[in-house]
Amino acid sequence: MEIDISGAAEPGAVGDEVAQGDRPARTAGATLLEVEDLAVEFRSDDGALRAVDGLSYRVEAGRTLALVGESGCGKSVSSLAVMGLLPPTARVVRGTARYRGTDLLGLSPTKHRAHAGTHVAMVFQDALAALNPVHTVGYQLTEALRVRSGTSRREGRRRAIELLDLVKVPNAAQRVDEYPHQFSGGMRQRVMIASALALDPDVLIADEPTTALDVTVQAQVLRLLAEIQAERQMGLVLITHDLGVVAGVADEVTVMYAGRAVEHAPVHDLYARPAHPYTRALLRSVPRLDAVGDDRAVGGRLPVVPGRPPAPGRVPPGCPFHPRCDMARDVCATDVPPLDDVAPGRSSACFFAAELLGGVRA
Amino acid sequence: MPEPTAATATPDAPGIDVSASLGGDAWRRLRRRPDVIVSAVVVVFFAVMAAFPTLFTSTDPQRCVIGDSKTRPQGLGATHPLGTDVHGCDMLAQLVHGSRPSLLLAFVVVGASVLIGVLLGLLAGYYLGWVDTVVSRTVEVFLVVPLLLAALLLLSLFRNVHVGSGAFDVILLPALVLTLFGWMGYARYVRASTLEAKNLDYVTAARALGASDLRIMVRHVLPNAIGPVTALVPTAIAGVISAEAVLAFLGIGVRPPAISWGIMITNGAEWVTGGYPYLLLFPLGCLILTVLALVVLGDALRDALDPRLR
Amino acid sequence: MGRYIFRRSLLGVATLLLVMFVLHLLTTFAIQLNGNPALAFFGERVPTAAQLAAVETRFGLDDPCYDQTGNPCLGPFAERLGAYAQGDFGTNLRGREVTDIVATAAPNTLKLFLVVTIVWFLLGMGLGTVAARWRGRSADHGIRLTSVLIDAFPIFVLLLVYRYVFAVPLNQWATETFGAESLPALWFRPSFDDDHPWATLLVPGILLGLAGSAAFIRLVRASQLESYTGDHVRTARSRGLTERHVVVHHVVRNSAVPVVTAVGLTFTEALAGAVITEGMMNIYGMGGVLWEAVRGTDVALVLGVVTILAAVTVAVMLVVDIAYAALDPRIRYA
Repeated sequence: MEIDISGAAEPGAVGDEVAQGDRPARTAGATLLEVEDLAVEFRSDDGALRAVDGLSYRVEAGRTLALVGESGCGKSVSSLAVMGLLPPTARVVRGTARYRGTDLLGLSPTKHRAHAGTHVAMVFQDALAALNPVHTVGYQLTEALRVRSGTSRREGRRRAIELLDLVKVPNAAQRVDEYPHQFSGGMRQRVMIASALALDPDVLIADEPTTALDVTVQAQVLRLLAEIQAERQMGLVLITHDLGVVAGVADEVTVMYAGRAVEHAPVHDLYARPAHPYTRALLRSVPRLDAVGDDRAVGGRLPVVPGRPPAPGRVPPGCPFHPRCDMARDVCATDVPPLDDVAPGRSSACFFAAELLGGVRA
Repeated sequence: MPEPTAATATPDAPGIDVSASLGGDAWRRLRRRPDVIVSAVVVVFFAVMAAFPTLFTSTDPQRCVIGDSKTRPQGLGATHPLGTDVHGCDMLAQLVHGSRPSLLLAFVVVGASVLIGVLLGLLAGYYLGWVDTVVSRTVEVFLVVPLLLAALLLLSLFRNVHVGSGAFDVILLPALVLTLFGWMGYARYVRASTLEAKNLDYVTAARALGASDLRIMVRHVLPNAIGPVTALVPTAIAGVISAEAVLAFLGIGVRPPAISWGIMITNGAEWVTGGYPYLLLFPLGCLILTVLALVVLGDALRDALDPRLR
Repeated sequence: MGRYIFRRSLLGVATLLLVMFVLHLLTTFAIQLNGNPALAFFGERVPTAAQLAAVETRFGLDDPCYDQTGNPCLGPFAERLGAYAQGDFGTNLRGREVTDIVATAAPNTLKLFLVVTIVWFLLGMGLGTVAARWRGRSADHGIRLTSVLIDAFPIFVLLLVYRYVFAVPLNQWATETFGAESLPALWFRPSFDDDHPWATLLVPGILLGLAGSAAFIRLVRASQLESYTGDHVRTARSRGLTERHVVVHHVVRNSAVPVVTAVGLTFTEALAGAVITEGMMNIYGMGGVLWEAVRGTDVALVLGVVTILAAVTVAVMLVVDIAYAALDPRIRYA
């Protein structure tokens, strides 16, 4: 089902600074959002902590980029920065986030906010917390539509039902008047997705959209997300710690560690030959989706990445991963490896990427 | 699905250490605040005064020379540094000795209330079922009658009961009544945190390993519940100190001839407009200083134990 | 919703019955310990045997159970409940109906509460919202310091200082400047005047409201802070809604739930505060009546008024519960 949002703004209605209809159509492959050299710092008692350090990525229409990393690696913080939703203790210290050429990070907070929802929208992890418990689902689905485009209450309700249909919530006409706590986890996450789609955004950032859900429900929600994305030719940024989730959905993957991108590659290349020891370790620790039947890795325990990721502010000198790396040599403890191209369409921040790609296993 | 590195070589620190470090963290935070240090010094000063009044004055507060009545403050070193009251009793001696019933009452009431509240809250939250029903109902019933109203009713009923004149005897009745209607807040807090702590993984684990109920309550659940209660204590002590003053004003608190700040305030109030404001201002100043110090401590504790509110 | 209200009301009635029973037990116990109970009603005077017997009969104290320490006196309790059910809350020492006294006193208490509520709302919502909005800035620090200072001056101290230190000179000044019957002179009059209830209630009401507002400011601030950092507020922002809309519809709206609950809990405190305020400022309200009854050892009147106030408290808590359910759908549909 397609929802025609551009018609939502009635003529003469109080519009936003960024009106709904004035943007070009989404042609597959067109660059929608380009993040460059983004750095975010948190204020703390121990001084400024760098949570994101020089992250770059690009989102294209009709394509899905996965941002992968352990919790605390800066993947969520970077997207909050793009949305203009950083907590007061955090600030962007460097970098740009260009939406169709406009640097969102250089805008005033009010203008930045006007881009949120219409151009770049976000789906959050825990839908129970992320939806307001005291408003009905219908109210929340179309709140932005009514407030920003002056859509009437009745029209808003009709659209809310359409949106619930779109995300395949059964009995939409009835459930639109219910409250979030009356929905099951999976259905609530669908509502969350629907509310992000209400203003027909160009780019959707989904922050761990399935982490809180059962495995079977996870698959359904991911499939739904992929369908809608393909149908609307949106750019999708999928933030996850779970490489298993990435495989079926993403086109490209950026792996993050300690606030930096350590590897970027098309999804199949990444799975076939990781070009960074961290990616390799992550892949080994994930039960392969194509081997689900045999109960994790056959004949042995699932290997884990030894140690734990450094806390912001405690990032070791040199390559941040070197204390946990099974390939680390002396140079890794002193020099920071740059994110360099290692193959067509691939880059890696490891001095020994060529070795990894060459199939030499330590 | 757990994160891929959840099963790392170093296991998560057990919860008991987390709460201990939270306490340590709060302690470090408190030590750095000058207002906290000053308040603590004030409270300790008055507590020492209540415990050892003879350190501060050698004059007997009950030895009053009517001929010396309403002597104005004479300054340090004189016979009556802070003057005398209407009956010619030494103000300094009265203030020093009057701190004892006021503070003792506050500490006894809050101490007993915390004990009762923690015990009942812990039992209710841990066992649920009928224990919880009884405790929760009782809490609700006692909450309906405001502390002061209950005190007014009961203390006016017991007005003629004679209890003796020892340090504990003079505060016995107010202490009983204020405790009887003062424990509910703690019970509610402790019950809530018990419910929360009971389902933590390490508590479940301890139970699975066969730890006894008593051990689980004391070792695992209680440390979690102590935090919010601790933050309530200084403010509660301050509340009882001012409640004592109200009861004294009505003549149903600590009984004369014992002296308390409340009684001194009551007696002094009438003489302000007559040109003797110090009769009110000295005891009132002590009361406000103590209450202010306690309130600052309570506020700081609240902040330290719940950093989200800073 | 209807069923919820019904269930809550039943619970409220049960609580009230229990409260009455507890009060009865405590009173009975006190009377038993006090020795001859009716004697207490005469204070210092020594009554004749006939006077004593008359008093005992009038207050239902002629039941022998009052002479047996530990006897719960269930008989008189049942009788008293029956009397309450018929609206008979007993008489004071001079034989005036408690209900009659309360009926004439209640309007003044309501006026006082109105002033208090307005002060609470203005200070609590106003300062609390400002402090939360500009968290960590100087406005926030100032407001938090203010709330600590307010806490350090309990209502009793405030009124004492006002009445004995400030009221007289202020009143004198106002009388000289504006005339004895002028509004400012009435405001600062140190005691209540039945002909000018609003004017003479104003300052005590503001002081009482001020004394109770500290907890309110903190609560509003805390609950709004929680909302500000809440995930659902972030979601609302991510939909491009203006900060003003987010604050009104998501922060303040959500923080209304705990604030309403707190109104219920602080009500009992305000009631106690009203007793002190009315007593010290000679306001002829329910608290003032109670205050005077305590001073005059009119135990029957104290018991009657406390019982009525307990009933009012139960009713207020019921209303708060219902408002709570109306504000939070999670309770409503539980």
